[in-house]
Amino acid sequence: MTIASTTQLICFAALSITLVVGAFGVVLLPNIVYSAFLLAGVFLSVSGLYLLLNASFVAAAQILVYVGAVNVLILFAIMLVNKREDLSAIPGLALRRVLSAAVCGGLFLLLVRVAFTTPWALPGPASIGEEATARIGEHLFSDYLLPFELASVLLLMAMIGAIVLARRDVYTSDVITGEPADQGLIEKARTPLLTSKP
Amino acid sequence: MFALSGYDAFLGFLLISAAVPILALVANKLLSPKSRAGERQLTYESGMEPIGGAWIQFNIRYYMFALVFVIFDVETVFLYPWAVAFHRLGLLAFIEALIFITILVVALAYAWRKGALEWS
Repeated sequence: MTIASTTQLICFAALSITLVVGAFGVVLLPNIVYSAFLLAGVFLSVSGLYLLLNASFVAAAQILVYVGAVNVLILFAIMLVNKREDLSAIPGLALRRVLSAAVCGGLFLLLVRVAFTTPWALPGPASIGEEATARIGEHLFSDYLLPFELASVLLLMAMIGAIVLARRDVYTSDVITGEPADQGLIEKARTPLLTSKP
Repeated sequence: MFALSGYDAFLGFLLISAAVPILALVANKLLSPKSRAGERQLTYESGMEPIGGAWIQFNIRYYMFALVFVIFDVETVFLYPWAVAFHRLGLLAFIEALIFITILVVALAYAWRKGALEWS
């Protein structure tokens, strides 16, 4: 039993509208927390689009990694940053806006042109549906075994690197009192939790 | 052409679960008595009064937990196709997956040893 094509079209329209509106919200909203939560919505819509394209594994990976991990990291980074500050106006703001609008508009036009001139391939081999995930597993454990095992080493390196960076000791000191100063995010890591025990 | 099976139930479940918070908020808005400023506007009427704003700086140690979580989240993505094709792959793939997990257990042991998992 599959979703009928009308339902599919409605789902596609709803997902696309959510995606575009959410992306605009991410860019335009003044509150950064709203932007982060809307970004999660955008990622979810993208995973819905993957699902509509019969890529259930990619959709699951999208939700697991982007919504579950990357977006949580973004939210944590926002929570770690201090209160909102009153930013002073940038000189030449209008000129910067015009320039960035020109760059973004150019990129958009390029993408539109690519979308209309590409001869989109007609359906090749029939989609295998749920079978695809098992097929990925088979390839992962036969001809892509080395990259698979190397991925674990890469993850190990990422973990060690993250811990080493986060528990870096402070070398900056307060100018007046001479005491070590907590200045940035990373330097705060020398609280008892993250120092190595002798 | 949509070829995945069983997603009709998923779609229905998605719609129902999206309706739950909307219905809860709308019903609350419609049914709750409106009046009386003061205590009613607090987040917790019967608890402690909140002091200060909600925009406070959180401790860096939460970020460490998030970083460790991201590593094991990505690991899950790699193990997922193995779990789906488990019966077809046999013993060799099981050993390969064990090697994969062992290398990541080393990462966990490193994080543990360095105290990144402690809560003090």
